Amino acid sequence: MAVALAKEDALAARLAALDLPQGGFTRAARAAAVARLQALGLPGKRDEYWRYTDPAALTAVAPPTAEASDAQGEVPVFDGLDRVKLVFVDGVFDPARSDDPTLAGAEISRLATADAADIHWAQGIYGALEAAGQNPVPRPLAALNTAAATDGVLIRVTARAARPVNLIYVHESATSDAILHHCIKIEAGADLTLLETGPAGARFNKVLEVDIAEGGRFHHVRTQGRDHARRAATHVFARVASGALFKSFTLTANGALTRNEVVIDIVGDDAVTHVAGAALGDGATGPFHHDDTVFVTHRGVRCESRQVFKKVLKHGAIGVFQGKILVKPGAQKTDGYQISQSLLLDDDSQFLAKPELEIYADDVKCSHGSTTGAIDEEALFYLRSRGVPVQEATALLVLSFLADAISEIEDEALQTEIFTVLEGWLARHKA
Amino acid sequence: MTIVENELEVREGVDRETVEAVQNMGSYKYGWNTDIEMEFAPKGVNEDIVRLISAKNNEPEWMTEWRLTAFRRWVTMTEPTWAMVHYPEIDYQDLYYYAKPKSLDEKPKSLDEVDPKLLATYEKLGIPLKEQMILAGVEGAEGLVADARKVAVDAVFDSVSLGTTFQAELAKAGVIFCSITEAIVKYPDLVKKYLGSVVPQSDNFFATLNSAVFSAGSFVYIPPNTRCPMELSTYFRINAENTGQFERTLIICDKGSYVSYLEGCTAPKRDTAQLHAAVVEIVILEDAEVKYSTVQNWFPGDEEGKGGIYNFVTKRADCREARAKVMWTQVETGSAITWKYPSCILRGDESQGEFYSIAIANNMQQADTGTKMVHLGRNTRSRIVSKGISAGKAQNTYRGLVSMHPRAKNSRNYTQCDSLLIGDQCGAHTVPYIEVKNNSSRVEHEATTSKVDDDQLFYCRARGMDEEEAVALVVNGFCREVLQALPMEFAMEAQSLVAISLEGSVG
Amino acid sequence: MLKINNLHVKLEAEDKVILKGVNLTIGSGEVHAIMGPNGSGKSTLSYVLSGREGYQVTEGSATLLGAALLDMAPEERAAAGLFLAFQYPVEIPGVGNMTFLRTAVNAQRKARGQDELSAGEFLKLVREKAKTLKIDADMLKRPVNVGFSGGEKKRNEILQMAMLEPKMCILDETDSGLDVDAMKLVADGVNALRDAGRSFLVITHYQRLLDHIKPDVVHIMADGRIIKTGGPELALEVEENGYADLLAEGV
Repeated sequence: MAVALAKEDALAARLAALDLPQGGFTRAARAAAVARLQALGLPGKRDEYWRYTDPAALTAVAPPTAEASDAQGEVPVFDGLDRVKLVFVDGVFDPARSDDPTLAGAEISRLATADAADIHWAQGIYGALEAAGQNPVPRPLAALNTAAATDGVLIRVTARAARPVNLIYVHESATSDAILHHCIKIEAGADLTLLETGPAGARFNKVLEVDIAEGGRFHHVRTQGRDHARRAATHVFARVASGALFKSFTLTANGALTRNEVVIDIVGDDAVTHVAGAALGDGATGPFHHDDTVFVTHRGVRCESRQVFKKVLKHGAIGVFQGKILVKPGAQKTDGYQISQSLLLDDDSQFLAKPELEIYADDVKCSHGSTTGAIDEEALFYLRSRGVPVQEATALLVLSFLADAISEIEDEALQTEIFTVLEGWLARHKA
Repeated sequence: MTIVENELEVREGVDRETVEAVQNMGSYKYGWNTDIEMEFAPKGVNEDIVRLISAKNNEPEWMTEWRLTAFRRWVTMTEPTWAMVHYPEIDYQDLYYYAKPKSLDEKPKSLDEVDPKLLATYEKLGIPLKEQMILAGVEGAEGLVADARKVAVDAVFDSVSLGTTFQAELAKAGVIFCSITEAIVKYPDLVKKYLGSVVPQSDNFFATLNSAVFSAGSFVYIPPNTRCPMELSTYFRINAENTGQFERTLIICDKGSYVSYLEGCTAPKRDTAQLHAAVVEIVILEDAEVKYSTVQNWFPGDEEGKGGIYNFVTKRADCREARAKVMWTQVETGSAITWKYPSCILRGDESQGEFYSIAIANNMQQADTGTKMVHLGRNTRSRIVSKGISAGKAQNTYRGLVSMHPRAKNSRNYTQCDSLLIGDQCGAHTVPYIEVKNNSSRVEHEATTSKVDDDQLFYCRARGMDEEEAVALVVNGFCREVLQALPMEFAMEAQSLVAISLEGSVG
Repeated sequence: MLKINNLHVKLEAEDKVILKGVNLTIGSGEVHAIMGPNGSGKSTLSYVLSGREGYQVTEGSATLLGAALLDMAPEERAAAGLFLAFQYPVEIPGVGNMTFLRTAVNAQRKARGQDELSAGEFLKLVREKAKTLKIDADMLKRPVNVGFSGGEKKRNEILQMAMLEPKMCILDETDSGLDVDAMKLVADGVNALRDAGRSFLVITHYQRLLDHIKPDVVHIMADGRIIKTGGPELALEVEENGYADLLAEGV
């Protein structure tokens, strides 16, 4: 009982510290989210899906301070690409640094301004996909986000978008507590590439809801900034209709705490969804805890899903993977695959994994694999015998280890960008 | 030479017998009920009942206190809900915690004095006649048993152990094999030292209940540098209605020794569910090895899910010292609910744990079973091979933990978990937990889920098998790796059980 | 070129002595062959010379062009001009063959104080060398040795040798798993690299590779020692009579 009361108090304190927007078209969704949150309570260490990650820093009234790190003259990722840049500084939209939000094939608006109106196309999406994604695993931080989000973007894609949209999250304030909520609707046959970059704030809570109609295509590539102290809880909720495609890749380098949840509901037939992630953690520059929590539900027939997650950890870094494939009754001919692997570069680091399958249809092919271990000594010797110094050889083998996840990015130019970021990180973290 | 021939003959004989017996089975061969006059303790559990059970077993004071400590702990605990099993709430006050055939109060002089119904029970269980005599407590019966089939048996009937065969011969080797109740009285030092040292009284809801009310089970002690001269075996049978069975088994394998232990379980068909909450503790010292094989064929309930055994079992082996080895092999075909995770604590350096499992769930059965491999020592090795088969409307879950502690340098785990689905109404689930806290260890986990291969089925049928035979054959192939890990007699029985358990799952 | 003096080596893990006093001197431009039955220590010698972990040198020395070889890291030995063609080349998924080659070439150039090759220069060079070994563009693009046939792997080893231009090449059972055509291709590649400034140590179980790569000196190794040294005729003797007679002599 005491635990329950303490939970209630913690939630009341958290909500009291937030200036909950009343909302226009989101009003009902926000109210429902508060009710949902009150029923769920904030996450705690004893919750099954938080057993490997302590949510305290994510649920605290104020975020632990986090200085933005010096970019050290690094070229920002995706800088060479033709894209629509939308910049948020510590969770606040910065029109001066952003591009004009016009894009052939899509319609882009800001949540903060659109929410002044009572009617909007995003009404059926905002908070709705999040609410649907609360079952069977509760995600209270996402409900908190729906209730409290101050801004975000709303993108409706009606054709093949001419350029990628790049959401750039700048972190400047050491105490910022950014809460952003984005909604994307891909109409039948439409196509969008969304890029997300940057650490966003001292603490970041983000929800991205993506609704992909028949034959729609959504490519998502993000890099989470390498600020050492930042903390983030991000959620992607996707609803995938027949013949649609959803592909998401995330690169995470450093960060004291990152929890990336991806919840995909495949409602149609013949859809394809791939989620991939590569995380690099070096505890020498500060604590590193990275958690990928993925839940893919198959409802339609003949759908394919892949989860490919790779982690490279050293100096006490901790990597977590909780992935699930749920095949509903009748979702025959499902092809589900899941792999989680970690490379521990020294003896202090940890990998904690819970790769689950829950299957209620018989004509399916589902498998998962998980491996953990040190660098392959044979391969290291082979490289060194060809004259490659040990550090360079290790870096090359790290890239080799991550390659499967990175190859989930379809666009080669984007792949190259990610490799560049990786090489930069490896060069900075040689020891 | 002659000895070898003899052994061969007997072995074949047993196999043939088993096969025939199995062929004659109905859908649940062991579903009869023995109408024997029983002595019950009053329904429900409280401190008085705990004291009564202790008194019935003539236990010393320390044991009564040990039980009471557990009971006081148990009343503060709640039933775990994390497993993927659903069942109506169990009313723990509506169960009998102690039941014993009245006829055992006095030791019979010959087979004629033994309650014929009890003998009939053994016969149906497939226990040979002379062993039946020993089990029924007939004086001097032990000398009658030919040396040929060297399996010592301890049979447990509801709450009581009926007797143990081959005790004299085992004693020659220094091996102690008796009921736990007997051990508490005769070998208090060993029991005090090891009871609860692997599964503590407070371990989990069901183990704690067991610690308070257990009243049967086997005790095994293998002295140092001894290879147990025969396989040891326990048959468990729940017969009485509304009775919980709470046996407790304690096996201690001292330095450099070896024992293979077999466990078989059956229960009659009843409309109401019966509770079984057992605890098995195994302590393995330096260079010792224990093989523990189970064929669990408790009544699974009928096709509508009525009745059946609720099987909540805690089994754990502690490889306490260097190079200790344990191998768990289980064939789980019965029970309405199975909640069971035979585990290995790999504490000693270079110790090894293996877990081989076949879990078959048909009709309305629900199984949530797997293992824990806790690597604490250096250079420890573990291997998990799990084969789950779901049919009918059953749910089958593999749940496992592999944990590599920071100290467990250079350790290895390999896990292979395969699920097979027969029909579109059942479910197969995999819930592994993998925790790696050092980088010199390597952990590999693989899992697959698929349906019975149509091409294989077609191939079998094209050769004249009917669909059910074909499925049984393919499923046996799927389970092969685990079946091979079983001792010969058990392997045959298990193979036939696989087929029987899947009856009615096709078409 | 290579001077091995009274080399004793044991396996670290098993505390097992493998090499029991190997003496070997290879002059500049010479091709030596070491033959011997399985378990004689041939492959161990190649691993110890190239610096693989798990072996402990308990006695003796090895120098390459006067430099003490055994104190160097594997990459330093490579930069000093040592090259081992592996019996079982390692597969490295995710690393393109070209990336691998370029990293290796430039790492060695850097270690020797030479300028790194530009992308253009490198590409030109690798295409030229690949052509003579019948290695097509596809093989260069694929990850290192992943999905390569036995013959392709061995050709890839020789391509690396050609690109890295080492001074002392050790070929460890390069003929194993090759059919006659593949062996000829590999041997041609090796022969093309023979010159006055480059030496070879060819380790093989059978004589047949030596039909294609003609050795100047043949050594017979058994039980961790070189028990007999002679000309190419020694290899033919082994081919005809097997090792048994030689082993008997050696004892």
